[in-house]
Amino acid sequence: MGERLIGRRQSLKYLGMLAGTVAGREFLAAWLPKSAAARELDALRRASYHAASNQPNERPYTPLFFDKDELSAVEALTELIIPTDESPGAKEAQVARYIDFIVSAAAEFNPSLQHQWTEGLQLLDRLSREKYRSSFHEISARDKEKLLEEMSLPEHDAGQTHPGYEFYRLVKEMTVEGFYTSRVGLIDVLGYKGLSALGEFPGCTHPEHQT
Amino acid sequence: MVGSGAAGGIAAYVLTIKGLKVLCLEAGRMLEPAHDFFTHKFPYEWPYRGEGKPGQYGKLPQGMEWKIKEWTDHLYTIPAEDPYALAPGSKFTWTRLRAVGGRTNLWGRGCDRFGPLDFKPKSLQDGWGEDWPIGYEDVEPYYERVEQLIGVSGSSEGVYNTPSGKRLLPAFNPRCGEMLIRKGAAKLGIKVMPKPLAVLSRLYDGRPPCHYCGACNWGCDVGARYSSLDVLIPQLRRRKNFELRTNAAVHTILMDRSTGKARGVTYIDTRNGLEYEAYGKAVVLAASLVESIRILMNSRNRDYPSGLANTSGTLGHYLMEHVAFNSIEGFFPELAGRPTTNDDGPGESCLYIPRYNYGHKDQKKYLRGWRLDFYTGCGMSPGPGASLPGFGSAYKKKIKELYPAAVQMGGYGEGLPFFWNYVEIDPGGLRDRFGIPQVRFHTTSEYDHAFAIRDEMYGQMEEILKASGAEIFPYKKQSPYPLGSVTHEAGGCRMGNDPRTSVLDEWNRCHDTKNVLVVDAGCFVSHPEKQITHTIMALAYRASDHLAEEFRRGDA
Repeated sequence: MGERLIGRRQSLKYLGMLAGTVAGREFLAAWLPKSAAARELDALRRASYHAASNQPNERPYTPLFFDKDELSAVEALTELIIPTDESPGAKEAQVARYIDFIVSAAAEFNPSLQHQWTEGLQLLDRLSREKYRSSFHEISARDKEKLLEEMSLPEHDAGQTHPGYEFYRLVKEMTVEGFYTSRVGLIDVLGYKGLSALGEFPGCTHPEHQT
Repeated sequence: MVGSGAAGGIAAYVLTIKGLKVLCLEAGRMLEPAHDFFTHKFPYEWPYRGEGKPGQYGKLPQGMEWKIKEWTDHLYTIPAEDPYALAPGSKFTWTRLRAVGGRTNLWGRGCDRFGPLDFKPKSLQDGWGEDWPIGYEDVEPYYERVEQLIGVSGSSEGVYNTPSGKRLLPAFNPRCGEMLIRKGAAKLGIKVMPKPLAVLSRLYDGRPPCHYCGACNWGCDVGARYSSLDVLIPQLRRRKNFELRTNAAVHTILMDRSTGKARGVTYIDTRNGLEYEAYGKAVVLAASLVESIRILMNSRNRDYPSGLANTSGTLGHYLMEHVAFNSIEGFFPELAGRPTTNDDGPGESCLYIPRYNYGHKDQKKYLRGWRLDFYTGCGMSPGPGASLPGFGSAYKKKIKELYPAAVQMGGYGEGLPFFWNYVEIDPGGLRDRFGIPQVRFHTTSEYDHAFAIRDEMYGQMEEILKASGAEIFPYKKQSPYPLGSVTHEAGGCRMGNDPRTSVLDEWNRCHDTKNVLVVDAGCFVSHPEKQITHTIMALAYRASDHLAEEFRRGDA
């Protein structure tokens, strides 16, 4: 199994090198059966795009709205909500940067979103200091999770209240939105297959659902 | 001819092929599908994931949030930029699309015919409201012609009071969840049938069939769904007796005092702000009903001090809209955890539940009936799991598990005509950026019938979903959406035989001035649960056919 996989990757790499030059493309067009060439190129394009979007960006990121500590808190929050497990999570989809971008863009028409985030993060630090004697971005991953757990209690039990609940909902909503509108979330994780061109739409083909 | 959308496109087509000289004035610009439609763009290809800069569109009225996105914000008219006025306590959601093709560019594509009972609600149903001056048999041949012209997929199932054409293109194949609802509803004796859609399931009339990308609401890049922009305008522009003038916002109708007839219109070129005049033997308004009413009211003069065609005093009154409200969401445990499938299909659901509650016993509480629509399967949103409590890996897995099992059900109830739901020229003097006086709405959707039929529908939707094996999420009953929010507004210059109680005659001509016609949904007398666009197009066809005949005979 491993060998076949590597073999395919290597061939893709080779095709990629060829496809990178005009002469190479001509070579491919001339020597590969047309549909096969198109298929390989398509697969290659997809593979390279996914590789690019899944690799952490090496260049340091300068946040647009948050400061460094705030960004690391936002990163931690989003990664708690949509963690990386068997499939990629908020980290790979760079949801914290999405939120940073959206919140910074809110300056023009919706500045209250900026206040919600600034105040929310301050509240988070206050809650964290009360409990663990340090700011949110400094406490351990376990403590972060425990604090978020407490903030989310009213979601499970309408009788409960928590001062951090409103901010928890804001973070959760924007994380879910940012993650499932990203290529990583929508395509890689959910496996959305649509917005493509089909010759026929088979609809439901399962015998157990018919009549 | 004023307007080029659902009504205007058809009317211009009929008049042009009958040999009349037609000048079509369109307030918006020309659209080029290749340039203006972003059909195949994923959310992550937009700077703000398709949602726009936070707050960019202002506070959108209820029911407009899902329409205006980065895919479409350059097409729709945004209320923050082109405002309309609301009387205190009133709500109205006015979705405007000023461009060639109007709202057919982004419409829902549902294409059902009204039934015989729908034209005669008073005499054949319950004695309430008004009958239309015409019956199903008058409109049937025009339904047929429209279907042949625009291409409709569906099937003829012989459902009571839900007539369908006999020569439709094949219906689309339903998705898994739709099959489950069909089975579940059958247990309750409720019929589920293919939804008639103005989307091509086969090559038709030189137009390509649907390629199932599911993005019709952002504009179809190949014109596989009907729009007057894609289907009719290109045919018309090849004819010498048709001229399309864009960016021409009609202001008033010009009257000839000696004959009492209209002699043309004034319009403002929206690019230079200057006013022009255009002359003709007849003026056909198809500007979408609120605009048509606005034009008639702004045309008031010494002879018609309360607005042209308003001798009856009913111009602008009896505005209607479907009773619509939030849908119920849930999932099918049977479909949870399945591999993802491509459920985009023809963009709309392939099946629906036509009205079935004829002769019900609760006529004191609510009148008439409703239709139900449902949406199932893998879409572009994370689905029902996202609204569950919690976070973390378990939450993420639940989202993935429920993603293919999503189901939503909603519906439309019959909206009733009331004199007190009306639109007028804003007494506060609101004008648009071209200086044209704009309208003010006095409308509410919160009347007794609407609440009663809503409650009945919630109960029925729950019953059908449960019979289909779905789990339903807790939901809050919301007040009926404001008029206009599902873009099915109708009425305001209704047709009738009596000039004292109606604005138009049975051929869509104003009782007051027979050479002014209103061929959009303004002429509607009642608003059954069915989609209205097909009836708009059929009536526009019928009225234009008659107008052309009058010209041929030399009567007009």
